[in-house]
Amino acid sequence: MEKMVLGLNKKHRVAVSWAQDSNTIGAVTSAVKNGLIEAILIGNLSEIQKTCRESNIDTRLFTIVPAANETEASSEAVRMARNDEADIVMKGLVGTDKFLKAVMDKEKGIMIPGAVLSYVAALEVQGYHKLLFVTDPAVIPFPDLDQKIAMTRYAVEMAHRFGIEKPKVALIGASEKMSRHFDNAVDYAIMCKMADRGQIKDCIMDGPLDVFLACDKKSTEIKGVDSPVGGDADILLFPSLESCNPFYKGLMLFGKGELGGLIRGTEKPVIVMSRSESELSKYYCIALSCLMA
Amino acid sequence: MVLKTLNDLKKLVEGGPRKKLVLAAAQDQHSLGAVVRAWNSNIIEPILIGDKEAIQNICTEYNYDISGLRIVHEPETEKSVEMAVRMVSSKQADILMKGKVGTSTLLRCVLNRDWGLRTGNLLSHFALFEVDTYHKVIAVTDVAMNIAPNLKDKIAIVNNSVNCLNNLGYVMPKVAVLGAVEMVNENMEATLDAALLSKMNQRDQIKNCIIDGPLAFDNAVSLESAQHKGIKSDVAGDTDLLLMPDIEVGNVLYKSLVFFAKAKVASIILGAQVPIVLTSRSDSEQAKFDSILLSAAASKW
Repeated sequence: MEKMVLGLNKKHRVAVSWAQDSNTIGAVTSAVKNGLIEAILIGNLSEIQKTCRESNIDTRLFTIVPAANETEASSEAVRMARNDEADIVMKGLVGTDKFLKAVMDKEKGIMIPGAVLSYVAALEVQGYHKLLFVTDPAVIPFPDLDQKIAMTRYAVEMAHRFGIEKPKVALIGASEKMSRHFDNAVDYAIMCKMADRGQIKDCIMDGPLDVFLACDKKSTEIKGVDSPVGGDADILLFPSLESCNPFYKGLMLFGKGELGGLIRGTEKPVIVMSRSESELSKYYCIALSCLMA
Repeated sequence: MVLKTLNDLKKLVEGGPRKKLVLAAAQDQHSLGAVVRAWNSNIIEPILIGDKEAIQNICTEYNYDISGLRIVHEPETEKSVEMAVRMVSSKQADILMKGKVGTSTLLRCVLNRDWGLRTGNLLSHFALFEVDTYHKVIAVTDVAMNIAPNLKDKIAIVNNSVNCLNNLGYVMPKVAVLGAVEMVNENMEATLDAALLSKMNQRDQIKNCIIDGPLAFDNAVSLESAQHKGIKSDVAGDTDLLLMPDIEVGNVLYKSLVFFAKAKVASIILGAQVPIVLTSRSDSEQAKFDSILLSAAASKW
């Protein structure tokens, strides 16, 4: 992940919606200081000034655009992205649903027409020999087949940006066997055949696989599962938000991991991050959005 | 081993003990002719059950020499079928063949819970074609029995057919799951089932064969056509077994092969304890003979 940051050479303009809390301003400040971005803080002017003063941050680091409330701030951030006054949109103190409403607005939003809105995260964890991309821990509760295909494409696209030419995609289930009791396995079989036939491109796909088979070579040998992905997955596609979310949080907490994550399906990168992420992860989220911009 | 022609089936029965074929309601000229010919060719040992007088009259009229053949007299059709089925389930015969009796009556007896030939498997039709324009024989299923098989049925049909091909000496037959296109299309159920069958095969949930699909007919039987489309497949162009999406497609293909491509065909019913020869009146003499030959080669008892 560190390498990704070093490879970035163009300054991107980030419009931050309702950016007046110390959390948001803190995350943006280090990215600005490191020359990664130019930040446009949209929010209550006096609150922004107050937070900066309290945290000993020079307000001259930012462009500040006043807004009356969080809805207006979100609309303004999205408008700037639409009008090419910003390259990236970031959520501040505003609730995720209000923020995404502005992003997804049919007339004024920045959705790619017909695209699926989803979330891809890149994880750096001890105990795995490379970055692990996971989807979707945040947006789609129970993806259907089309959504799973879209999620895969986003993750593959992100892996490409990291220089992985043919990422290995593991479609995650509880077992590698096909079973009528697991609907996701049916979708996975269909997706694998689509990859065989070139309908999903630029990746190597297999599933269902459990996490062991996907990421641990030894498990594939013990189980005798012959898989082109087995033990060396770059991308893990999870069957639901509720399986992916605990997976990545478990890794962050117990595996001393760091992440960068991003909303996909929009014309320009959209950063939504949880307040409880580490400082470094927040920084990586911003860096990742620059990589994808 | 690979069969180039239906005649190659003879190599599989030569030398072995002759299989006992029981012809139910044997007073049927078409069936008798084929059975006697197969007997004369040392392929089977027939047992005829039916109206003895009627059987003898037919044989006299058509010059079939049946001296030395075992004939069991049972003039009542349904009873003769029951007797034939019981003979098989008690292992006194290896193959069941339909004579002058309706298919439904025969199958009812086959499926009888007490003395029938049930195995718990679905019954399915298996046809083996010899056609000049393909480099080996090609099996097609199911063209006559299962109308609109669902995924579970298709698994059973593949298993029946693969088991039969294994018995015919194919260690890993290549199975093409047929569709209208080789791409997965959510609006075409057959292509989705094909994807699932492929994956189950990869995961060893359907064994002893290599499955790929969906494949369109041309990709399945022509390597050139598959390569033209850039399909990477272990099956394309070298298919041993074609799995049909439903009976309409299967039946039309079967009949086009026979009528337009002048294919030779042999067919049997699988899924019961033994192969069942169930030819129809409209089948040629040769087709009936070849079907008996196929049943003898596929019989494992």
